[in-house]
This record gives sequence, structure tokens and C-alpha cells, in this order.
Amino acid sequence: MSHHLFLLSPSDTPLYSLTHQSSKPVATITSPLASNLPTWSTSAFAGTLTALSGASSTTQHTSGGAVKVGGGQDRHVIQMIANASLDVIEDEMRKQNLMYFKSIDKFNEWTVSAFVTPSNMKFVLLHEGKNDDGIRLFFMEVWELYVKTAMNPFQTAHTAVRSSVFDTRVRNSARKYL
Amino acid sequence: MAYTQPHPRLSVVSTSSQSSDHLSPTNSSTRFSLPSAQSLHAAAASIKAGSNRPNIYDRPLNKSRGAEVSGSAFAFLFSEIVQYTQKRVSGINDLERQLNTLGYRIGTRVLELMFWRTEGSSKAPKREIRLLSVLTLVHTQVWKAVFGKAADGLERSVENPDEYMIIDNDPPIERHISVPKDFSSLSCSSFTAGIVEAVLDGLSFPARVTAHNTANPQFPNRTTILIKLEKSVLEREELLK
Repeated sequence: MSHHLFLLSPSDTPLYSLTHQSSKPVATITSPLASNLPTWSTSAFAGTLTALSGASSTTQHTSGGAVKVGGGQDRHVIQMIANASLDVIEDEMRKQNLMYFKSIDKFNEWTVSAFVTPSNMKFVLLHEGKNDDGIRLFFMEVWELYVKTAMNPFQTAHTAVRSSVFDTRVRNSARKYL
Repeated sequence: MAYTQPHPRLSVVSTSSQSSDHLSPTNSSTRFSLPSAQSLHAAAASIKAGSNRPNIYDRPLNKSRGAEVSGSAFAFLFSEIVQYTQKRVSGINDLERQLNTLGYRIGTRVLELMFWRTEGSSKAPKREIRLLSVLTLVHTQVWKAVFGKAADGLERSVENPDEYMIIDNDPPIERHISVPKDFSSLSCSSFTAGIVEAVLDGLSFPARVTAHNTANPQFPNRTTILIKLEKSVLEREELLK
């Protein structure tokens, strides 16, 4: 089971992204679309089409636990899902005064949870299972790390986060909560 | 939305700091208080040697929560900021804009840190989305975080519904500043205006914020921070009603 985290600036530029393979077992939700997929997957766009229709069955897990590209795991499809969910997030953040929006959007097997900081940074997390509390705690830790990053005078709301310490810390929280 | 990329404010500071030939403070021999170039190098070397100092991610954010900065140290620093800025601008408007830009950089950080300190341990952290609560937040919490006291007044303009005013009878940053007669329209509180603008911008209430002297006999330093909200904000407020 994998998680994808994106930190987006107020102008929607990705500043940081992380892919995390969780070792915790969670019941997978099967997509009804996947089984009805027609067999015209021979065109040039086969990968994308398969992914968009939610055919997670094409994903192949190797023995090492690493995931081969294909199915819903394609990088560009993940990015597209994350970007598409921004519309819903921006709608909701106008109406509700929350920071943590749990399971705000769904796309095939992916659920999208988001966290909006006061200064309008958006943390978007794509996940497969349901883990509301864990994700909240994860977001809170990422927020703390982000606040520390933002205090740095060399950091602005539009510069990418490249610190290796930040990366390690986020990975540790991901391992702990996701 | 109101965010353009790259942010127009950010470019102002960076371009002025890049032209270095006559701007570098180390070149002016009249500044006796500055350490010589040699001692600066020595200091840099000693920092490098002690590279095992904790990085920013190891420091707790709440440690400096109640900490206060000495008023005289701040007055000295701010006086230097104004002098530094004044040398690099071509008029009062420009000077106010530069101070505003510097304040903006502080405001973005104040906002994020202030919220983290109040909501960081909460189970359901909250943001602000209504105009009035945002304005009172600026008037009390932001002022308390930055100046250690709440502002003295929050008013709505009678003639323009998109204008709000935050009034400070004795702004701490102007306590030791006396503006010359020929600069009469200058208000160094433009720095504060920048902080306010950043906070409003961050909470997606884009506005143009300016500072004005509105002295009266009782309070000679009385300053009004004028907030002119963008049209989109008022339209959104109408919808949320």
C-alpha cells in the first residue's frame, strides 16, 4: 500500500513530494471498474487509460515489495489526481474553517486527504485505506516541520523544500503514522 | 487568485541586494561600528568549524514563545533598517513600499508560527475564514505576538465599505522616531502595514495595506493602518452570509 504526499505553495506549485510504501496491511478496496475494463489496452496510451479506469490489477508487486509502474501507480496519474483534487479542496476551504480535510476526494482506489495551513500551503495526501487519525497526526508533524522550514529567512512560500533533514523527518513520521 | 508567480514583492528586495558595489556596508569607511572584513572572515570560519550545532528542525518552536526582545535593541535595529532602506530609494513612496516589503516577509512567518502555537496541539485545528474574525485576529493576536499588546482600535470606514482601519495610539516601532518636516507624509509604520498585509494575504483576504499618521494632541504618534480589501473578498463575504 502506498502513500503519496505533495506540498503545494499558495500558487499551486509543488514544493515537495514523497512516495511512501506502508508496511501496515489494510484491506484493499476493489474498484468495480477494473473488472469491466475492455481489452483495447493496446494503444499508445494504454498505461494511462488503464490507470485512469482504475485497473489496479495490472500493478505487479515484485518480491522485494517494490512496485512496478503500471495500473494506478503511474507517477503522472498520481500527480494528476492530486492536482484535480485541488478544486474540491479550494471549494471546501472557503466554506469550512478546518485545516484537516479528511477523505475530501476520491478517484478509483485513491482517497485524497488534505491539510491547509493558515498561510494557504496545501498538503495533499493520496492514500488507499482509511486511517483518519494516523493521517491527522502525520499532517500535524509535517506542519510543524514546515513551520520550522518557513522560519528560515532563505525560504519563501514559493521555494522548493530541499533540506535533507526535512526529508528524513517527514519519512520518519510517515513510517510512524501511515 | 491574488497570487502571481513570482511574487512581485519578493523581487523588490532581491534586486536591490544584488547590486553590491557601492551598497556593501563594509566598503564605507565611515561606519566605525562595523567589524573589519578580516574579523568577519574569522567569525565565518569559527561557525563552519562548529558545524555540529543543532539544525533548525531540532529546535522546539515553543521555546521562545514568551520571550521578549529588548526595546532599545529593537529601536536600534529598526533605526538601522530605516537608514539602510532610505539610502536605496528615490522618494517617500518608494521608502514606504520597501518597508512594507520587509514587513511582509515577517508577516508570513508571524502568521504561520502564531497559528501553530495556538492550534498545533489541537485535535481539530481551525483556520479563520470570515472577514470580521480575521480583522479582530490581526487587531489582537497579531499585535500581541508582535508588539506584546493589542491595538487600540478597529474601525470600518464610513464612506468606503471595503476599508477598515486599525489604530495604534503609540506604536512601539515609532516611539523613538521623529520624522523630519519635509518627510511629513512618511510613516515608518509601513513596516507594520506589511506585516498586516502578509497576514491577510496568507488567510486569502488580499488587501492593500498602508500606514498613515493621524496624530492628535493627546497621542502625537497615533498611527492608522488602512486596509483596503480587494473586491473578491467582499463578494465572497456576501456569499458566506
